[in-house]
Amino acid sequence: MPERDDYLDRYTSVKSIVGEALPFELVCTIGGVFAGIILVKMIDAIEMIPGLLVLVPAILGMRGNISCTLGSRLGSAIHLGLISRIERNPELINNVAGSLTLSLIMSVVLGILAHLFTVALGMQSVGVVVLVSIAVFAGVSSGLILAVIAVVITIGAFRHGIDPDNVTTPALGTLGDVITMLMVFCAAKAVIWIWHITL
Amino acid sequence: MAYYTVTGIMKRGIPVLLVAAIISITAGQLLHAGQDLLIAFPVLLILIPPLIKVGGDTGSILGARLSSAFHLGLVEPVGGVVVRNNIIACLVIGGVSCVVLSVAVWAAAILLGIGVVYGLLLKITLIAGCIEMAVVFAATIGIAFVSHRHGLDPDDVVIPLITAIGDIVGIMAVFVAAWVVV
Repeated sequence: MPERDDYLDRYTSVKSIVGEALPFELVCTIGGVFAGIILVKMIDAIEMIPGLLVLVPAILGMRGNISCTLGSRLGSAIHLGLISRIERNPELINNVAGSLTLSLIMSVVLGILAHLFTVALGMQSVGVVVLVSIAVFAGVSSGLILAVIAVVITIGAFRHGIDPDNVTTPALGTLGDVITMLMVFCAAKAVIWIWHITL
Repeated sequence: MAYYTVTGIMKRGIPVLLVAAIISITAGQLLHAGQDLLIAFPVLLILIPPLIKVGGDTGSILGARLSSAFHLGLVEPVGGVVVRNNIIACLVIGGVSCVVLSVAVWAAAILLGIGVVYGLLLKITLIAGCIEMAVVFAATIGIAFVSHRHGLDPDDVVIPLITAIGDIVGIMAVFVAAWVVV
């Protein structure tokens, strides 16, 4: 079967794998640098809120996992013909509501875990209430923004004859870290601001 | 009855997310432990998020491609050409990304007014990137083969675990590289 062999040669050649994956990976890397820039801008907040740094990789990781599974489920749903309109569509509502509920529950868990681990290791923590508030605000708000982006990209791509599976997850991966880090930044600023008012 | 339900999505999501949460909180503790070093050398704070992303992404590409190869029955012994070419390709992607990353971080540092010598930054990025990829790729191959042998779908298991492991290894690798270079 010469055609099959041709396909396999291409499928397994180093050149074709690098050619397909490298451009996207470079865009993602630059997106990550923007997340890093926001993290540097947070240095004051990191010093003022002990335990904030513990939360950062966990919130980014949770956001990536939940958003990318949402993107890939929406892609499957639209291929199955389950999403034909945006308004009052139970599949769409359940997918977005499910991913936001997961974000809420996991944010509370992350805040509590971050506090307990930090105290158990004998390091200073700002307290469970502040860490849970930051995690919930950053986790749920970034989840909401990314869910809207996921729905818009999935439906927009499908209407223009582009496979959403090829577009939605990469776009969410690139935007996800930047938006999530921005929301952590806002949450930290808000906590500091409220603190100053109450103190 | 809807095909996707809120409870169904939660039941499938929570176990994997909990395991990933515990691993990434551990990664956060490493950052917290090195907080003084990070505040003294803020350029490391710019470097860490994209570096752990490169490790997680290249590991995920490798994991997803190995999973597909398993499903297609293309994986003979471990030393087969399919496995080898995938590893080489992911090393090339990771290597090029690290070089581009060092330039981007250097430019960002200059824009933010953080002084840094480019040669040092390139060395830190390359050393950390090599450690990260060596460990993450070994873990990816191990997890892919083990989950396949035990009848689990590698697609479900490999990627969430690899991104979380990539966080821990990447943060440690940056600290080790900074310690070696400075």
